[in-house]
Amino acid sequence: MTALVLLPSDEVPQDHLPTNNSNPLRLGPGLRILSQPSSNGSNHVLTATQAGLLTTDAKRNTVSLLSFPNRRYIPTVNDFVIAQIHHSSVDFFHCMVTPHTAHALLGQLSFEGASKKTRPMLKQGELVYARVQSVGLGAGAEVELTCVNPATGKADGGLGPLTGGMVFDVSTGMAARLIRASSTSAENTDAIEGLAVLSELGKKLESLGGFEIAVGRNGKVWVDCSIAAESAVKVTVAIGRCLQETDQQNLHTHDQKKLVMKILRDMKLVS
Amino acid sequence: MVGPIASLSQLHRSDGSASYKCPATGYSILGAVNGPIELPARRDALKPEEATVEVFVKPGTTTGGVGERYIEGILRSVLGKIVLGREKGFPRRGVVITLAIVGGENVARGDNYLTILPALLHTGLLAMISASVPLSMTFSATLLGVTEDGDIVRDPSPTAAKAAVSLHVFAFSSKNHLLLNESEGRFGFDTWEYVRERALSICQGETTASADGDVAMGEGTASASVSGFIRETVEDQIYSDYAYKLDSI
Repeated sequence: MTALVLLPSDEVPQDHLPTNNSNPLRLGPGLRILSQPSSNGSNHVLTATQAGLLTTDAKRNTVSLLSFPNRRYIPTVNDFVIAQIHHSSVDFFHCMVTPHTAHALLGQLSFEGASKKTRPMLKQGELVYARVQSVGLGAGAEVELTCVNPATGKADGGLGPLTGGMVFDVSTGMAARLIRASSTSAENTDAIEGLAVLSELGKKLESLGGFEIAVGRNGKVWVDCSIAAESAVKVTVAIGRCLQETDQQNLHTHDQKKLVMKILRDMKLVS
Repeated sequence: MVGPIASLSQLHRSDGSASYKCPATGYSILGAVNGPIELPARRDALKPEEATVEVFVKPGTTTGGVGERYIEGILRSVLGKIVLGREKGFPRRGVVITLAIVGGENVARGDNYLTILPALLHTGLLAMISASVPLSMTFSATLLGVTEDGDIVRDPSPTAAKAAVSLHVFAFSSKNHLLLNESEGRFGFDTWEYVRERALSICQGETTASADGDVAMGEGTASASVSGFIRETVEDQIYSDYAYKLDSI
């Protein structure tokens, strides 16, 4: 099937829709359903509201539009984000998720094992890895974050305060790509979603103790490798540079490998 | 006829951006879009259920004046109409469009601003597409001048525009509806109708057969039309952004 790019108001052609009829078709972002009145009742068409590449998933029966990667992040329930504490009040931490938007609220007690007596005392500027719990209904609603899974009371998937390390800004498209790449099965880790940069860095930095990484859907990547002792700062900066340059220059997999080698040599981390 | 040149997503810190250069009129515009963002003060009070669209036009060498405010009003009404301001995350927020005139002849105070309007409209549209602001449709615009002999000139240069009897800017939606009509100078209904048909064929690349069969030739192919140009620009950017995905198909 050829790649199809849609512009706003373009209709999704019938032959591009998944043909699996077992469950209802689900619409992803960038698409809407319009009904056109016609002679025999009404007739439904799918039209695009953004420009993007049409992608379909036959297994899950979804159709969505992949838009430009440097767009603004709009909070969606269940997304993992990296938020920075702006200030704290009696019941909530007020966090920044994206610039120039209202603060998101993170309950003082929505941490694993938190009670009135034992709760994390986060200061201004500290970071948390959180999940979007609700985005509210209607205009001007507040975004609520949480650091526990409300069903289990556990911090699944590394939720909670991020200590040490450093945050790098990447585009939201790159963040989504990194998340997709890590969620696909570990088999053949070479170049999932066209990303070889992380696996390459992992191989090269193994001798220094490896590194830890957390990706927020809002276009933030947190990198920590305090295990590397005296070269920790250098390694962190090197990883951040590799990710940002891959993102900005939209590098191909073999260029990503070259870039990793070049930056690590520049920073005198490998010989 | 040399077509315009445009590229998308050149600025890294804004949510969406586009640069646009029109060789015929010489203007070069850089546009940036941020949205949805929180607006200061209570600028959402007029329409609390929708997004507020703000447009700023910055001339290259001077501060903005009356002419810029006037053109901002026109741009805001056209661009504001096509934004789907009720989509998730958009009500009561703002979409801020900044258009900087970075090249071309200066529009002096009191001069005609219509000559630059199509370039500003296209830059604004492309920047909004690049920021993934939900839109109900796209559009294409064109500038036409009518000379003293009654000839219709496409994209006249600023000097040719000064000599023209009347100037017309038309914008058509992707469904061929007339979105904007700004005309200036002396003209009759017949002239306006001719100019409108010519503009439609330039924008949409369709040979609209008029009553006397007088159709503009050479503008019939889709890629030569302005809407075809907008589509190609967007497609090129998406193909390059998703090259990693397309390789594996």
